[in-house]
Amino acid sequence: MNKESTLLPCIAVESLTGCAGELLVILENLDKLLPFVRVASFPFAQTANDDGPVDIAFVEGSVSNPHDLEKLKKIRSKSRWLVAVGNCAVWGCVQGGACAKCKVSDMLAAVYGSDSQIEVLESKPLSDHVAVDVKLSGCPINTTQFLSVTASLLKDHLPYITHKPVCLECKLNENPCVLIEKNLPCLGPVTAAGCGALCPSMGAACYGCWGPCQDPQMDAMATILHEKGYDPIDVINRLKSFGAPDHLFQRMSFQYNQETQA
Amino acid sequence: MAQSFVFSKADFDSFFRVLQSLGEVSAPIRVSDQSFAFKQINDPREIAWDALRTILPPKKFFYPPKETLLTYKDGQIEESVSDNKFQVIFGVHPCDLHGLGIMDTIFEAGPADTHYLQKRNHSLIVGLSCMPDKFCFCQSMGTSCATRGYDLFLTDLDDDFFLQVETPAGSAVLPQLPMLRPAEDADKERYKDYWLRREKAFTNGFAPDNLRATMDMEWNNSLWDDLGKRCLSCGNCTPVCPTCYCFDLVDIASLSDDEGSRVREWDSCQFVGFAQVAGDYNFRPSPVDRLKFWYRHKLHGFDDAFASRTCVGCGRCTVSCPAGIDDLVQVVKTLQGQKEGKE
Repeated sequence: MNKESTLLPCIAVESLTGCAGELLVILENLDKLLPFVRVASFPFAQTANDDGPVDIAFVEGSVSNPHDLEKLKKIRSKSRWLVAVGNCAVWGCVQGGACAKCKVSDMLAAVYGSDSQIEVLESKPLSDHVAVDVKLSGCPINTTQFLSVTASLLKDHLPYITHKPVCLECKLNENPCVLIEKNLPCLGPVTAAGCGALCPSMGAACYGCWGPCQDPQMDAMATILHEKGYDPIDVINRLKSFGAPDHLFQRMSFQYNQETQA
Repeated sequence: MAQSFVFSKADFDSFFRVLQSLGEVSAPIRVSDQSFAFKQINDPREIAWDALRTILPPKKFFYPPKETLLTYKDGQIEESVSDNKFQVIFGVHPCDLHGLGIMDTIFEAGPADTHYLQKRNHSLIVGLSCMPDKFCFCQSMGTSCATRGYDLFLTDLDDDFFLQVETPAGSAVLPQLPMLRPAEDADKERYKDYWLRREKAFTNGFAPDNLRATMDMEWNNSLWDDLGKRCLSCGNCTPVCPTCYCFDLVDIASLSDDEGSRVREWDSCQFVGFAQVAGDYNFRPSPVDRLKFWYRHKLHGFDDAFASRTCVGCGRCTVSCPAGIDDLVQVVKTLQGQKEGKE
């Protein structure tokens, strides 16, 4: 470490329970960051890491066990800005979606046996446990958004992150609508943009991996998919599979809730 | 009076090559079973002659979905200027020509939008006649005949094209078009016959006379709530509209100290964040508020400001709405006829 670099803002890149997708995106872009930051801690990419305070901590993964929680609290206490990166950290992702569907203890018993000593928590996003300053979703995160968020934070600006639906990016790409033309169960209308409408641009349905957009119309989405012949239970499962929280479904019409619970 | 000519369809290839010599030519091509899009083409055989409405209207050529307006570096601001690349947009139907005309009015109004106008002034628009399908209702909006927004206009007369020249830019191309012959009386008869047939071909539409009063009176009609409940707030109705012009401005900071850019991107009044202001107040908080606002803006909102309506009857919103709630004709008919959805 040269003397000059100690003056640079410090970052930490940490991981809880996730697939390391965000870590890979950050690693791929590390050369762009290195002139501007000192990487105090990035256990995925370097062996020498320090525990000292940092300006920005990027945390991927959901809180899924007591160790995650302990680690997260420690990171929070030493970081000026805590940035949740990726769907796991922002929404809870598929492990969060699974917890919304069945009990953690049942899942643990089914996978590791009923006498398992493994300690688990119901998988939750970071903001269920600590204060999160910036939420950058993605699966994995988008490079341009990541660099732009970092640039803003380094200048003490509030980062701009779009919460508009995937449909906007899809239309701007001038894609034929797969929901209308192919009757695919596309979740573009209720999913946050940022991916560039990747799946619909390839003719596939959006499955909501970025998490919900701002004020998603879940009831209308479920109604329209149901009208296209999709089973209500499948529709709700699809809408919830990437960790969309329960409160977004409170306005759902009774029919769906009943059928889902049946 | 505008000049008119006739040329044989057999000569279309050479007509197209002349357009190509002016600049990049874009025309509707087929992109799926049901959809078309304006794309740059090199071969006239790529043109989808049966295209009635493209996914995005031709506004995208002058008002791109995403555009860098300025860049800043070391305290210096540099405003982006158009590269002045000349564009030829071929195959624009009357509704879209009216749409371009409305966009011109809006972007020319002071302070003029130079980013739009620079591109618009470096373009040639070639209009094309069309026979309506079950979604077309330009007749009801008074936009079924091309009266503005084009330089040249082609009417399909079976084996020939009838060519109308509207602007000096259009006239300037004429010397390069040896295949043209002046329209004779018989051609004019064929031309009039085409447009009479077209006038009768419309199956969709409404009586527009009381539209303004209807939109005012029916503001609290319960039909809006029924539509609002189905609305996904996906915003598909606005980018596809030939006259929706709302945008978002985003400053994109660069990692290096004093550098970045300002980008404008199409936005939609259907997104909840659109009317969100300081203090987290939102003056159009629910989908029904936003949907109703958009309908009024299209069918009545511009009467006061520009003495015109901004809907041109192209039917794009109707076919692009996944929830099926943008059937403007049905909505207007319901509001007028009070068959259902009455308070």
